[in-house]
Amino acid sequence: MKNLFLVAVFASVSFAVNAQIKNANLQASGLTCSMCSNSIFKSLKKIAFVESVESDVENSSFQITFKTNENVDLDALQKAVSDAGFSVAKLTFVLNTNQLKVEDNAVVEIDGKSFYFINTKGKTLNGDVELKLLDKAFISPKEYKKVKDKLHTDSGKRVFNVSI
Amino acid sequence: MKGIILFICLLLVANSKAQELFVYTEPASNIPAHLLSTRLMSSFYKEKDGSGTNIHFMPEIRYGISGKLMLQTQAFISNRNGSLYVEGGSIYTQYKFLNNDAVKRHFRMAVFGRASYNRADIHQEEIETVGHNAGYEFGLIATQLLHKVAISSMLSYERALNNGAVYEFPNTQVNSATNYTLSFGKLMLPKKYVGYKQTNFNLMCEFLGQRLNGNGKSYLDIAPAMQFIIKSRARVDIGYRHQLYSTMQRSAPNGFLLRFEYNFYNVFKKFKQ
Repeated sequence: MKNLFLVAVFASVSFAVNAQIKNANLQASGLTCSMCSNSIFKSLKKIAFVESVESDVENSSFQITFKTNENVDLDALQKAVSDAGFSVAKLTFVLNTNQLKVEDNAVVEIDGKSFYFINTKGKTLNGDVELKLLDKAFISPKEYKKVKDKLHTDSGKRVFNVSI
Repeated sequence: MKGIILFICLLLVANSKAQELFVYTEPASNIPAHLLSTRLMSSFYKEKDGSGTNIHFMPEIRYGISGKLMLQTQAFISNRNGSLYVEGGSIYTQYKFLNNDAVKRHFRMAVFGRASYNRADIHQEEIETVGHNAGYEFGLIATQLLHKVAISSMLSYERALNNGAVYEFPNTQVNSATNYTLSFGKLMLPKKYVGYKQTNFNLMCEFLGQRLNGNGKSYLDIAPAMQFIIKSRARVDIGYRHQLYSTMQRSAPNGFLLRFEYNFYNVFKKFKQ
């Protein structure tokens, strides 16, 4: 039994791929004024794994760079925006990959997180790849309606739905 | 005078870009979580009986407990009886229960409640729990922000109680009222945002009405205002409130308002990481 457990652990580790989330671009919704934008900016900057934030006030978007070798919690970005009183309309992030095999409608473990790829033909990713998060709190309600039937729904653990 | 104010307001409505940091009312949007906002509001209203200017100072602290819930406390200081005197204070809370956001637009709804203490004399039929009457108020706010127009409306119930131990609410007057407001705002400057240091210049126009429950006496005011947002964290409001009509007795309906606000971000915030 113990051996079986070890094999299972080894197998899961071997499927996990080390890849670093380097930066993200977030567009917020529900605001136009600079005071509102500043609230989001301050809220994002305060997150521990965030290295820097550059804001485009006119378009309500934020370019976020993460600290290297820190665990990036994408949900914390959404929480920061909703704490400021607004919503996330779009979140894309850049993942540094190395021979990462992905398939459509399949879960891939990357850097300790589970990603479910949608509308993606099977391919091997190399270098910096931009992924778009398709979870409900990260896209507009209109867009969510379009993709919701394709999303991975496993209440047991956090699976990030993404497309390339 | 009324014509000019109304004309400016109509221009705003016809041609407005979203700004909802209203001067005389609160929008359904709350302040951000962990934001500590400090305000000093001063108002200068001309007494109708010619006895001078009724000056009020209302320092205020607001805090965002979460993105949906905020608390506010305010003190009421006035010169009505000669020198400056602390007449009372209030606590206010607002909860945002509906939040539909899209890029550069939203529709939000919130409920609010206020409880006020006041020990000044009761000198008018108008009920105002901000600075005049002890009592309470609760109501509903809806705010629509479109790319070019921000419209906000509020409906509330307000009830006056005795002021302090000395001034009983006159039994010849109606002690409850229904309040209704309609507000419009426009961002005038900057034309295009390039950063947080640009000073924003906003124009607002608000309509503020009250109807006394029971006898049906009412008033309607128009309140144009201008606003400067400095470095995206400080705010200066200058407003003028003018009575359009009134069937109730009010001691000083017309006057100016001046408010300073400064915001501190990420106050009392703890981090897990």
